[in-house]
Amino acid sequence: MTVTKAQTRGFFVGGTILFTLVFIGLTLDTHAKLAHRTRDDPVTEHVARGLSVWGKFNCENCHTLMGEGAYYAPDLTKIVSQRGAPYLKQFMADPSQFYSEQEHGRLMPKLGLTEQQIDDVIAFLDWVGRIDLNGWPPRPIHVQGSSIRGIPGVEPTGGAGDLATTRGKALFYEQAACASCHAVEPGRRLVGPSLAGLVGTAEGRVKEPGYQGKAHSAVEYLRESILEPDAYVVTGPAYGADGKSFMPSHYAKSLSPAQLDDLVAFLMTLR
Amino acid sequence: MTQSSQRVAYYYFLAAVLLFGLQIAFGFMTVAKYLGPDPLIDVFHFGTSKAIHTNLLLVWLLTAFMGAAYYMVPEESRTELHSEKLAYVQLGIWLAAGVITILCYLLGITEGRKLLEMPTILKYGVVVVMLMFLWNLFMTMRKTGRWTTTEAVLLGGLVSTALLFLPALVHFDDFTLDRYYRWWVVHLWVEGVWELIMGALLAFLLIRLSGADREVLEKWLYVIVGFTFLSGILGTGHHYYWIGAPAYWLWIGGFFSALEPLAFLAMTVYAYNVLRRSRLGHPNTLALHWTVGSSILATLGAGILGIAHTWPGVNQWTHGTHVTTMHGHMAFFGAYVMISLAMITYALPGLTGRTDEERQTKLGLLAFWLMVGGMFGMTMAMAAAGITQTYLERILGLGYLDTQLKIQVHYLMWLGTGLIFASGVACFIWDFVSAGLPPAARGALEAPPAPTPAPAPAGAPGPEAGPAAGEPAPAPSPA
Repeated sequence: MTVTKAQTRGFFVGGTILFTLVFIGLTLDTHAKLAHRTRDDPVTEHVARGLSVWGKFNCENCHTLMGEGAYYAPDLTKIVSQRGAPYLKQFMADPSQFYSEQEHGRLMPKLGLTEQQIDDVIAFLDWVGRIDLNGWPPRPIHVQGSSIRGIPGVEPTGGAGDLATTRGKALFYEQAACASCHAVEPGRRLVGPSLAGLVGTAEGRVKEPGYQGKAHSAVEYLRESILEPDAYVVTGPAYGADGKSFMPSHYAKSLSPAQLDDLVAFLMTLR
Repeated sequence: MTQSSQRVAYYYFLAAVLLFGLQIAFGFMTVAKYLGPDPLIDVFHFGTSKAIHTNLLLVWLLTAFMGAAYYMVPEESRTELHSEKLAYVQLGIWLAAGVITILCYLLGITEGRKLLEMPTILKYGVVVVMLMFLWNLFMTMRKTGRWTTTEAVLLGGLVSTALLFLPALVHFDDFTLDRYYRWWVVHLWVEGVWELIMGALLAFLLIRLSGADREVLEKWLYVIVGFTFLSGILGTGHHYYWIGAPAYWLWIGGFFSALEPLAFLAMTVYAYNVLRRSRLGHPNTLALHWTVGSSILATLGAGILGIAHTWPGVNQWTHGTHVTTMHGHMAFFGAYVMISLAMITYALPGLTGRTDEERQTKLGLLAFWLMVGGMFGMTMAMAAAGITQTYLERILGLGYLDTQLKIQVHYLMWLGTGLIFASGVACFIWDFVSAGLPPAARGALEAPPAPTPAPAPAGAPGPEAGPAAGEPAPAPSPA
């Protein structure tokens, strides 16, 4: 079979026109669907200003956002829900308070952002973190932490009691991503305190004279710490400021009562 | 070289290879920062260095494409360039805009959209340069009315490049839309219309180097660029998986991306067939090396390494890791760097008044093997870094910073193989410069002045009538 030049030209021109039209059609449909997808969460002026701060300071030539950008610094897609705004404010004002090049290998330069710019970029990152990304990332991406968890499906599970613990462990490492701020090894500080020996710490804490919360037992203390992080702020280098904890306060909303029970069940194994 | 005005290409090529050297210098500084600690963190951090590295790549490749077009169009249309002066003015404005852009980045002035960081006002400068360039080419082609398929495809690629730059001027407050249209520039350039430029340059080089039948080659050129758009336009979808666009992009992007290697594979088969029949008889063996090399490494880097991670089921884990870096480096090198260097190597003897035999230097050959070997090593180092990062950070859940500490050895390999690559680039630049200036410019500098070569007579006009001047006699064709 011999193909003529006119036929191959027809293939090129015809194919290009066809696929360009399909692409334009899909683009229009994407526009229509985006309006629908973001209807409950519109781009406020605050968020728009945050996007220009993101550009002005060249953030995506070090970081990725939605996995796009450069690979020199951590992905920031879910950073606001992982770290919380109070922590990020303090961090962006002076990153060297939190990380050192010697110990962590990388340090973010002090960019000299104004308070307004920091607020704006946090609002922007918070907005991005709530976009429906078709399930990406499939597992949380942590900034730091060395806890390699078991692989789901091959982890040994015991009786019914252990099931709650297993589910709680998955929450700790996956959906709730507690592990992105808390290590479970003794003495390893990520953002929040290490949770090694947590049960003993919690039992002791409720009896301390300085403790002003409502809990009377370790279980109650753990629930309170998750739901109201400000009830007791652990003294430490960067755990909070002005009596406010850096821990995000959304867990009362983002965790169901059953999930909270599971998570506490897992935390109660950290003896 | 058949028209004296083709000499403007020399200055474009000179600028391109010097900027290539500068790009590699910034690449070095960038990869060194991965190893840390970075003493320049507060004055010249990773983000600045990387932006300059990637922008210089785009700038020098576009400079080389412009030079290639100024070389090819007068020869294909068999007439002098519409205006040599305009071409020089254009180069001056283009380079001035480039220098100002780099200074802006060094001073921290940036728009901050990856690869399109250039401040908006300078982007308008780019539009002006593009208009001057296309006007000059268009007027040249109009003079004789002789448009070959090869140059029509080249012009199509260049016009589309200019048009697709326009979305870079538009901003959206909605980050999803901002990303959506950023890819119209970035993806549709490198996985779309630039492949037209590559295909046209490849066809031009194969016709010249092998003497194969133009009709047959141009017939297959349409098939290749047809495949490019068939897969590449909807293949844009692989950038829309995780940016907030509807989920149907997962399967559309996945399916059409899987077809993207076809165009590159077709180019390899095409180059192989043509050159096998001609028995590599052309005296410019360096140009043959770069031409064949480009068709092979483009398939490997852009085609195979691309498909290795564009499938959504894989991409959800590898997205945003050094797996992308691996693909990006070899793809750009194989497809666009090598075809540009092929064109430069092919044109240089004629431009500098040397014979092909005179220009087959050992240094030129060394440059080829050092660059190819170095890039292969770098790709391996990046692959090791990317795969390790994917498993530790994305699948097992080790923190980003901890993972980075564990892949330091791969950065060291990257730096070492980068050194091999850089020495190849240095050889290439030295070899280019040692060919000397074009005879006219040499004459102006020396005393007594050497006579400028008389312009070759314009070929007989008439659409696609037989081989153009400077074209070898047709060899048996791979129909």
